[in-house]
Amino acid sequence: MTRLVRVELLKLRTMRVTYGLLAAAVAVTALFSALEASQAGRSVPPVSTAAGLGDATTVSGVAMILACVLGVIVTSGEFRHTSATLTYLATPDRRRVLGAKALATALVGACYGLAAGIVATAVGLAFLAGHGDRVTLGTATMIGHIAGAGAGAALLAALGVGLGSLIRAQLAGVIGVFVWCMVIESILGGSLSAIRPYLPYTAATTLGGAKLGAGAFGPGYSVSSQQALPFLAAAALVAAVAAALSAVAARTTVRRDVT
Amino acid sequence: MRAAAAIRGTATGLAGAAGMKGRLIMSSVIEVRGLTKRFGEVLAVDRLSFTVERGTVTGFLGPNGAGKTTTLRMLLGLVTPSSGTTAIDGRPYRELPEPRHVVGAVLEASNPYPGRTAVNHLRIEALAGDVPRARVDEVLDLVDLTEAAGRRVGQYSLGMRQRLGLATALLCDPEILILDEPANGLDPEGVHWLRRLLRQLAGEGRTVLVSSHLLAEVAQTVDSVVIMDHGRLVTQARLDELTERATQAIGVRTPRPVQLAALLAENGASARLAGPDRLEVTGASGEMIGTLAAEAAIPIYETTTEAAGLEDVFLQLTGNSAHQEVIR
Repeated sequence: MTRLVRVELLKLRTMRVTYGLLAAAVAVTALFSALEASQAGRSVPPVSTAAGLGDATTVSGVAMILACVLGVIVTSGEFRHTSATLTYLATPDRRRVLGAKALATALVGACYGLAAGIVATAVGLAFLAGHGDRVTLGTATMIGHIAGAGAGAALLAALGVGLGSLIRAQLAGVIGVFVWCMVIESILGGSLSAIRPYLPYTAATTLGGAKLGAGAFGPGYSVSSQQALPFLAAAALVAAVAAALSAVAARTTVRRDVT
Repeated sequence: MRAAAAIRGTATGLAGAAGMKGRLIMSSVIEVRGLTKRFGEVLAVDRLSFTVERGTVTGFLGPNGAGKTTTLRMLLGLVTPSSGTTAIDGRPYRELPEPRHVVGAVLEASNPYPGRTAVNHLRIEALAGDVPRARVDEVLDLVDLTEAAGRRVGQYSLGMRQRLGLATALLCDPEILILDEPANGLDPEGVHWLRRLLRQLAGEGRTVLVSSHLLAEVAQTVDSVVIMDHGRLVTQARLDELTERATQAIGVRTPRPVQLAALLAENGASARLAGPDRLEVTGASGEMIGTLAAEAAIPIYETTTEAAGLEDVFLQLTGNSAHQEVIR
């Protein structure tokens, strides 16, 4: 299995889309963090407060979405480009391939989350320094948020692998990820607050320190006073969804004829 | 072409060749038994059975749509048969512990990720097959792609992709090669190069199963043929047996063709009137025709052997005139 994971990591390292999505994740996170920090003191708490700084340094949601998109591309791309034949010729056990892809993509996804967490923290601290304010958020807390962003992105990347295997149509899968995370969860979370902590993307964003609902987009954006799931419970929830998607894919689409 | 030199150099690059010669035992290395595949209403492969002997080059022939690719994909565990079994070295492909080391395959519609360079694609395959990085350079040289190794596969021509497919198949130095229409996209020089490569690989004692819809494409290379049409086995024969069948028509010029035709028919031969004084006879030797004609006092002015080509036999066997233009 170790060799198989190394193979999948080498595949990821030799795909331009891996770096393109990472660059996009870092750029968009930096932009969101700057916007959040620039608004601090008006509609949101000032960046000099722990809450305000926390808001600016935990905007890693887009990086998590892009990690999920990477997962979809990694698996559905094999069918789109007919490279699945070569993969299955080398490793006929398709479930092992799926497992290796999930692990490898989760590792790369973690890098997306960590990079986004570091960038968001750097931007937040830069705004703080620009205003000459003291850092009110503990170092351990900030490191925890960065690590949590890595964990959230890793889990969503693995979820994307399961989704891509299940759908196999790349464009539909990628659009599906954006629509689910940016529209459906925003609507569901905004209208049915009781289920908000249990929505997978929302739960993943809370791993990175974001408040419940802060990862939502558009009209659905509303920071809830409701408690997010504890870290381990949120992580287990996203992991369970990823495992469920992969299990269904392993029993259905992954077993299909490769023609 | 540098590939020619590279082929000459494969004795060292494709390690273990000498050892393979020692394994030239005539035993079935590929076995297909009662293989059937149905895609909905379409019966793609129908109770197909054949074997491939170790150390031989076998042409897997049939018109387009005969079911060759589906059969090869079932053999390689990519398509699940509706019924029947396949075995390579005595077990299904999916049960081979290191399949790339046993079988190298080039299949249609199996391209590397187009955004990846050829060398990176081979590095991945080398890692998957647990072979050293240096082997990547060897196979690139073998298929004459060293200079293009840094280019993305998406920029490759069809012929270059076929060469890269062959490099991938040879990477783990397998004893068995399964090649699906490997000449597709190759220019005449490339086809010539491929023939030499196949002969080289066969000379090293490897077992090669190569599919084609053109008999002429593989006739110079193969020892035997498996011919299928409409999903069914038409014949499995050695090439020399097929060649014998190809030269059995005899042209006879006689002033009494109708009488001679009737006489031949009585004796189990088949004669077709090919002109006012000409017959085309099959199923009878020249001696038999001469003796029968002499006994009946029928003069014979001339006999000629109608050398029907292998392609004619192939067309007769597959019996599908719709494909004749393609095959010719």
